[in-house]
Amino acid sequence: MFLADANPLNASELIFPALECIHIAGFALSVGTIAIVDFRLLGLGMRHQTAAEIAKDLGPWTLFGLAIMLFSGPLLFSSDPDMYYLNRSFQVKMVLLALAIVFNYTIRRKTALSGASPLRSRLVACISIALWVGVVFGGIFIAFVGQFV
Amino acid sequence: MSLLSICQWVQSTGFFTDLRSSWYVYPVVMSLHMTGIALFGGMVLAVDLRLLGVAMRKRPVADVVCQLRVLQWAGFILVATCGILMFGSKAEEYYYNAFFRTKMVILSLIAVHALVFRRSVYGSVVEFDKAGRIPGRAKLAAGLSLILWTGMVIAGRGIGYIEPPLDKIHAQATVPAALTGQRR
Repeated sequence: MFLADANPLNASELIFPALECIHIAGFALSVGTIAIVDFRLLGLGMRHQTAAEIAKDLGPWTLFGLAIMLFSGPLLFSSDPDMYYLNRSFQVKMVLLALAIVFNYTIRRKTALSGASPLRSRLVACISIALWVGVVFGGIFIAFVGQFV
Repeated sequence: MSLLSICQWVQSTGFFTDLRSSWYVYPVVMSLHMTGIALFGGMVLAVDLRLLGVAMRKRPVADVVCQLRVLQWAGFILVATCGILMFGSKAEEYYYNAFFRTKMVILSLIAVHALVFRRSVYGSVVEFDKAGRIPGRAKLAAGLSLILWTGMVIAGRGIGYIEPPLDKIHAQATVPAALTGQRR
């Protein structure tokens, strides 16, 4: 049994925006470091290094960012679970997030670490970026769909 | 012509009136703004953490700083363009917003930061690699950059939480709460 009114998060109006900032910092770190590797797979950015080198360098930072994101995200959710649970944009976001994380640690990880043909690398990078952009859009649209759809 | 009257004129133009009236264009612009932060913010972090000597330590400082520069600019242009579009659609409301004003002050400090450290840090990274150590001024620049960009995020998120002075606002959006990204 969980009541939003009993949630200490809702006791101060400062906590939610503060968590939002932490959430943004978390995804800037995680998605940002993933994007550096994706851009390398596309042949952009850190071309003096291999994708495998950058992926190994940034792996722990990606994980750290994901941890911040997955810590702050559920707390934001807990402030008003019914609203989020029923929100179509939130539902889409969660599906895309799950796909993005699974894709990141399976196909994309293998492609970045063990190398692949340029075509395959580019395709994997595009899918990765598209999934994360979808997650961001899903997050922003939470505040908009409820009122219109 | 005052700053306020300029803001009122900007938001009254057909382009920004249309932007404000559409239910989906505004959130798309906001999402692209946030997308840019996700992609570009990570690069700022990577460069700052490299200068601080905590991330990507096996790679030359010059490689990290110089190779990410073009992508950082691309990201900044995306974020800034979307920011201008959001501002223009409700310029008058932003004019009164203390967080927006704070954000613009921080943005100008970021420009000052870039000018101050342009030569001594960002233009000297090859020497740091030759010397094999990162000087204090580079770490100072990286630390200040982290603080300033964090300030941008906080001030940016704060904008949506200030109630506009409704009696003074001329361009009422159809759904003000949603357009400012406010909850509930």
